[in-house]
Amino acid sequence: MAKTIPRPETGLWEQIYVIEIMKGLRTTFGHLFKSLTDPGHFPTTSYPEEIHDLPRDYRARHRLMQRADGSPRCVACYMCSTACPARCINIVAEESPDANIEKRPAKFEIDLLLCVFCGYCVEACPCDAIRMDTKIGVLVGDNRADFVIDKAKLMDWKPADYPADDTQSQKAPGGTLNAQALAELHGGTRAGAPTATGAGHGQGH
Amino acid sequence: MTDLITITVDGRALQVKPKQQLIEALRANGIDTPAFCYHPDLSVAGNCRICMVEVKGPRGFAFGISCHMQVAPGMEVRTPATSENVRLARKGVMEFLLVNHPLDCPICDKAGECTLQEHYMGQGRHESRLPDEAGKQYKGGADHRFVDGKGQERGGKAIDLGPTVVLDQERCIACSRCVRFMDEVAKDSQLELAGRGDHAYITTFPGKPLDHAYDLNTTDICPVGALTGEHFRFQQRVWNLKSVESIDPSDAFGANLTIEYNINGEGGKVWRLMPRRNPEVNKSWIANRSRLLYRDLAVNRLTDGRVAGKDTTLADALAAAKTALAGAKRIALVASGHQTIEDNAALLALADALAGKAEIFSGSWLPVGKPDGIALSGDPVANRAGLKVLGLADNLDALAQRAKEFDVLLTLGHDLWGADAAKAGALTSIPTRIVLSAWQDATVRASTIAIGIRAWAEVRGTLVNWKDRIQLTQAVPVLPSPELEPAWRVVSDLGGLGWTGETAAFAAAAKRAPRLAGLTYRAIGPEGLILPATVAAAAAGGA
Repeated sequence: MAKTIPRPETGLWEQIYVIEIMKGLRTTFGHLFKSLTDPGHFPTTSYPEEIHDLPRDYRARHRLMQRADGSPRCVACYMCSTACPARCINIVAEESPDANIEKRPAKFEIDLLLCVFCGYCVEACPCDAIRMDTKIGVLVGDNRADFVIDKAKLMDWKPADYPADDTQSQKAPGGTLNAQALAELHGGTRAGAPTATGAGHGQGH
Repeated sequence: MTDLITITVDGRALQVKPKQQLIEALRANGIDTPAFCYHPDLSVAGNCRICMVEVKGPRGFAFGISCHMQVAPGMEVRTPATSENVRLARKGVMEFLLVNHPLDCPICDKAGECTLQEHYMGQGRHESRLPDEAGKQYKGGADHRFVDGKGQERGGKAIDLGPTVVLDQERCIACSRCVRFMDEVAKDSQLELAGRGDHAYITTFPGKPLDHAYDLNTTDICPVGALTGEHFRFQQRVWNLKSVESIDPSDAFGANLTIEYNINGEGGKVWRLMPRRNPEVNKSWIANRSRLLYRDLAVNRLTDGRVAGKDTTLADALAAAKTALAGAKRIALVASGHQTIEDNAALLALADALAGKAEIFSGSWLPVGKPDGIALSGDPVANRAGLKVLGLADNLDALAQRAKEFDVLLTLGHDLWGADAAKAGALTSIPTRIVLSAWQDATVRASTIAIGIRAWAEVRGTLVNWKDRIQLTQAVPVLPSPELEPAWRVVSDLGGLGWTGETAAFAAAAKRAPRLAGLTYRAIGPEGLILPATVAAAAAGGA
C-alpha cells in the first residue's frame, strides 16, 4: 500500500536559498572559531600519529582463543562459517591427537576483505574460540593475500594486552591464570564432575 | 482399489494398504511419526518407543508402538495431534534418551542429519531436569574406559571397529539397527549389543573387527553419530552439501545413489556417496566399494587431449581425431557398457554418419562375478543391458581377431587394455587408436589420440540394469576441468551430428531402440522403470 508523504511546505524565504545556506554556514564557522580559541574542543585526532582508542566491544579484527597449553580452543565445528553471511571463513578440520578433544582445525582462514565485521561468528561459537576484541580496527596490506589471515596469525596475541578481568584470555600461555589453568588441563578435572558453571560439555578443555 | 482397509486416525478416516506396519500407514498419509529403531528395510525391534501412539482396545485407548502394530480394519488411533498423553509419552522418551547423550553436536559428523536432533525439536523441546551438580554420566572420556569380562577395552569416543567404521560409545542410543543390519542384510553377525539396561553397548566379538563389504551402511542407518565412516570423518558438515541423484556406475545391479558435493572456491568437490532408497532395487544399501567410488573422480583424470603421446588441448585432439576419421578406410567403433545409453546412441549415429566405413563392436573383457544378493550383481559393466537394448552384440573377441582389417579404432570410455591387456594387445596393430576416456588409464596410454570426457558423476543420462530397469543419473556440477564435455557431445562433434542436449540424445536412442519408444526422462523418474520386454525379449534373456 503506497503511502503518500507530503512535501514540506517551503515559503519564499526558503526558496531564495542563500538565507538558508547562511544559516547552515553559521554552524560550520561557529565550530571553526571555537576550535581556534579552544584546541581541546577539536573533535578530530591527528591520525596516524595519534590513534583513537577503540572500546573493547568494538568489532575489530578476529583472534582465536587458546587453551592453557597454547592449542586453539576451536574444535572446527564450522558454526562460525555457517553463520557467516559473507562466507569469509574457511576451515579444514582434522582429527586431534588428544582423544578428549577429537576434532581441531587443520586450517582456519578468514578473508578480511570479504568479512563484513558483523560479529555473527562470535555469537555462533559454542566454545568461545573466536573473538573480535583485538581493537585492531585498521588493516594494512599491499596485496589481497595479506588480508587472508591464517590460524597462526589469528592466535598471535598476548594475554598482557587484555584486561586482568578477562579470565579466559589470562588462561592462555603467558597469562596471569595460565599456571592454574594448565594444572586443571592436565590434572584431569573433567566436565561431568561438579563444576561451578556447569558449562563443560564433556570434551574437557 | 478393493484391497484397501479403513482406519481412523485422530477422528479422520484413512484408506490404507493392509498388512503393513501402522507407522508406515501414518507416514504414507503425511502424519510424521518419529522413529529411531524402526527402519523400513529391517525387522522390527520396538526398543526406542518414540513412535508411541494410542490405539483403541477393549478397555479404551491404550499406548502402543506404531512400528510394531499392523493396521487392521476399524483400528482407531490417536497421535499427538489429538492426544496429550501421546505427546507427553514421546516427550518423556526423548528426555530419557538424552539423559546421558553427550552434547557434542558441534564436533559430531551426524549433526544436521541426526534423528535425535530432529526428534528433539519435534517431540522433546524439554529443559534438562538433571541438576548441574549431578552432570551427565559421559561414558566417552578416559575415566569411563573399562576392560570388560572378556578382557577387551570398551568405552571411549573414537573406537576403530574395523578398517572403515569408527564407533563413539557414548553417542549410541542402543537402537540395534546396526546389529540387525549385520544379522539380516549382511548375514554376518559381526556386531552385538552387549550388557543390559543403560550399560548396554555396541561391540564386535572379542578380537574380531567389523570388516564386512557392506559395513558402511551401518553408518547411514545409525540414527545418531555413534557409527561414522572413516572416509567422511570430519570432512564436511552435512548442511554444506548439495546432492544429486545417481546410479552406481560400477555394477549392473544399478544401486541408487545420491552424490553429495559442494562448491567452495576452487571448483568444488564431491564429498561422499550415499545410498538412495529404492525398494525395487537396492533397498537402502550400497556396497562399500560403490560408496568409495567418489574418490576416483578427482584423481588421475584426463582433463585435456593427447596426440601421439604429447599433451594437447581438447580442441586439438578433437581436430586430430576428425582428420583421422576422415582419412580412414575401415573404422572400428567400440561402444561401452560403462557409458550411458545417450553416449552409445551417439556412437551408433556416428557409425551411420561415416556411411559404411565404420563397424561397431561392443562388450567387455572384464570378468563377471556372482551376485551377492544385496546391491551387487557381480557384473562390472553397469549398462550391459543397455547395449542390448540398443541392439549391440557382445563381439569384442571378433574385433580382436579381425583387428588387421581396420586402420582406425575409436573406443568410448572403455579401458580395454586395463581389462585384458593380452586380448587388447591384438588391437595395437590398428595404426590409429582414438580413445575417449575420463581417466588416464592403460587404454589412454596405448592410444595415439586421446580425448578427455566427463566421468559418470558429471553426466546426465540413462543406464539399464541387469533386471532391465532403466534408471536416470543426474550430473554433479563439479568438474576437474570446465572444458570437459560429456562423451555424447564429443562423439556428436566428431560426426557433425549437431546434438544439443541429453534429451535430444535420448530421443535419438529411442528412435533406434523400439523398447525405449515413448520414454522420456520425466517418465523414468527417480526410481526408474522396467523396460517392456517386447522385441528384444529373446536377446535380453542372458543378463
